[in-house]
Amino acid sequence: MRNLMSVLTVLFLFAFTPAAQAMPPIEQARLDNGLRVLLMQSSNVPMVVMRLNLPAGSWQDPAGRGGSAAMLAAMLGDHTAKHDYVAWADKLDAAAIRLGGGASYDSLSMTLTVLKEALAEGVDTFAEAGLQPGWDAKRFAVLQSDAVAGAQKSLEEPGVRAAEETAATMYPKHGYGHRPDGDLASLKRIELKDLQSMYRKQFRPEGAVLAVSGDVTMDELLALIRPAFAGWKGKPAVSFTDIPEPVAVRGEQRQVVMPTRQMTVQMARLGLSRFDKAFFADMLLDHILGGGGFASRLMNEVREQRGLVYGVYSYFMPLAVPGPFVISLQTRADQAGKALDVVREVMRKMHDGDIGKQELAAAKANLTGSFAHRLDSNAKRVGLMSMIGFYGLPLDYLQNWEARINAVTLAEVKHEAARFLDAEDWNVIQVGPEVAGSGD
Amino acid sequence: MAGAAPFAPLHEAAFDNGVRLVVEEDHSAPVAIVQIWLKVGGRDETSGKTGLAHVFEHMMFKGSKKLAAGEFSRRIAAMGGNDNAFTSHDYTAYFEIVPAAKVDEVLGMEAERFGHLNLRAEDFAKEIQVIQEERRMRTDDDPNSRMFEELTSVALRLHPYREPVIGWMQDLKKLDIDDVRAFYKAHYIPGNVTVVVVGDVDFADIKKTVARTFGKLKKQPVEARFNPVEPEPIGPKRMVAVLPAQLPMLAVTMPVPVWKPGENDREAAALAVATEILAGGRSALLNREIVDKQRKAFAAAAGYDPFSMGIDMWFAYGMLGPKQTPEAFEAALWATIGTLRDKGPDATQLAAAKRRMVADQVFAQDSLYIRAKEIGMLETVGIGAGKRDAWLAALGSVRAEDVKGVLKQWIRQERSTTGLLQPEVKS
Repeated sequence: MRNLMSVLTVLFLFAFTPAAQAMPPIEQARLDNGLRVLLMQSSNVPMVVMRLNLPAGSWQDPAGRGGSAAMLAAMLGDHTAKHDYVAWADKLDAAAIRLGGGASYDSLSMTLTVLKEALAEGVDTFAEAGLQPGWDAKRFAVLQSDAVAGAQKSLEEPGVRAAEETAATMYPKHGYGHRPDGDLASLKRIELKDLQSMYRKQFRPEGAVLAVSGDVTMDELLALIRPAFAGWKGKPAVSFTDIPEPVAVRGEQRQVVMPTRQMTVQMARLGLSRFDKAFFADMLLDHILGGGGFASRLMNEVREQRGLVYGVYSYFMPLAVPGPFVISLQTRADQAGKALDVVREVMRKMHDGDIGKQELAAAKANLTGSFAHRLDSNAKRVGLMSMIGFYGLPLDYLQNWEARINAVTLAEVKHEAARFLDAEDWNVIQVGPEVAGSGD
Repeated sequence: MAGAAPFAPLHEAAFDNGVRLVVEEDHSAPVAIVQIWLKVGGRDETSGKTGLAHVFEHMMFKGSKKLAAGEFSRRIAAMGGNDNAFTSHDYTAYFEIVPAAKVDEVLGMEAERFGHLNLRAEDFAKEIQVIQEERRMRTDDDPNSRMFEELTSVALRLHPYREPVIGWMQDLKKLDIDDVRAFYKAHYIPGNVTVVVVGDVDFADIKKTVARTFGKLKKQPVEARFNPVEPEPIGPKRMVAVLPAQLPMLAVTMPVPVWKPGENDREAAALAVATEILAGGRSALLNREIVDKQRKAFAAAAGYDPFSMGIDMWFAYGMLGPKQTPEAFEAALWATIGTLRDKGPDATQLAAAKRRMVADQVFAQDSLYIRAKEIGMLETVGIGAGKRDAWLAALGSVRAEDVKGVLKQWIRQERSTTGLLQPEVKS
């Protein structure tokens, strides 16, 4: 830590240049087995974060067994062929090694956060977790039973109910039709062999990406990774390019009954894929609509002008194929209709082209101005590099990000508004009481 | 092994009117975080006015002499920033994450709204509705938080931690703009302000800016904060919250000492280490013994905050699956704590817990937001951010005997309040 000052002095020279130039480049290497390694060096904290991303997302969960990929990630982190769960926990804890994992719709990930002084041991444990699974049947039963109980507990959360119903409504015959965590029924059906089968097919170095950020050079990193991942070979049976295009479901209305005071309202429709040509125009559209916090129209109209909600926001999830575009709010149950009317009116105006030049300029200023903040920690840098590597986006993606935002025209944003914001196309999922007014 | 302290040097300044400034420079990215910390929070409310500190926080976004309602956040957004605020029992803080070149402008805007807030009745009328929705979302419709709110309230007799920061709904419905104005006058004074800036800035520049902005506010007398001594519990208490939950949860809580630098370093550090051994990392005893081995809960945790004011409410809880009973979990919880108390941690457990706690401090340096928050919080509760190294040293000094000692003295069933979240049965 004492050499911190000399490092700061060097970096200080870059401090007044634009963010894109000051940003360290992404370095790339490829191991003989095909594993791609991406690195951004950053020496201001003596730590390293890395994430391995593989094409084993929840979209591949066997039918009716939602949560399999998430359970696979949990099993890989829990113990190995060489260490039972107790010895494994003691080993990691003694060196302050944080090992995490999880599944999203498109990919499975394992994440390592480690002190620089423990990097060598960290990489070894990371590789052991990934490449030497223990498949302890008793531990599987324990993790499964805890996950099932957790799924039941999570039914107390209106947001979880809404997300489950939204996924099921929008993707009835598609791998995106359930939450990556799975649900109470699906988790019970999973068998250890489901996990083993997914692992055998998909846990392969080709098409996988190891994104690294922190206090390490590429040479130091490769000297650790090469031996640790030696012997790992092969190509996954399917990749994200095999994910089928979803069929649009429009205008569905669903209600989930819960004895809450508020109604949780989610409007949802198909959004766009990570590869959509209008991706940056849609980022701006969403920012103006409800992604930009207090600067957004939804926040202004529904909260600031009318006091109907604490939170209202929009987001789209860009996946390998079109993921959901969602507008979400919670309001006292008897006000849900009123709040929905306000949201629809905001959508209608934008859909009909009522988007101002100033408004677009403000959205651009916020997104480009806050770009450096998207990259100001090892954890954030690893997240972005994983995404870039996994979907095969160009390595200068971050360098060009601000220019791509600035190049979007008002006509393009209006075009995207017309494409996405017809309220008739949106499904409406409401979670709350059958009859409003259970009182405070 | 404990390793070197991970903190960058702090630069501090104090102004004649009582405003304080703490800066931590980090030039690794052209970003800075500005946080304005106030020595005011839920503990400074009077009876019948719970939630007022947090309501006030919302009103800070509702316009000032130079900025219309909502204008503050719009300007921050336009400069490529994000802003928000948070309120606890002990403090209120307002923050902006902005390109480093904008820090001067932000400090000017913060000082302007601080000194010249509008506080209009029509804005309050809408905002109090927003806050009631916030309470419904965070507490009323969440059985776990509702239970914890009730549990803390039952556990304490005098200390203001017994009232929820969000406020009771009954109080929220009675507050008016005059309450807000009186609160402003009493608490938003320069002597209650600490300005914290972390990021790609130069201390000398920031000091000049703060002198020109917050430093110009008129000095006013500062009163001592409400900090009553909680009477020692005279026996165990129990409560049940019957709510529309899916599964039961059982929690225990009790008042324990917080860190008073130079007075109880090893005691507070030992409580932190004991809690880490029980609930931190993968080898956490509560998880290993109760969840993995005995199968009496599907999740278990505990928590201790050594940096609160006066006391902390130490807690532990278990989430119970369909076939797990509160009685069995409760017995297992006290048995696990009892074993650690009687036998103490072994050398490996103790060393691993300390190393993780130091590593957590290193990992926390990865986030400007967390760094600034830690500095502001330590300053505002009266410990001082300069004491961060002393805390790491205190952790390093903890022996197995100390862990046994604090468990024996403080974490006892007869001092505790036990709460059960019991799912409502529909007839």
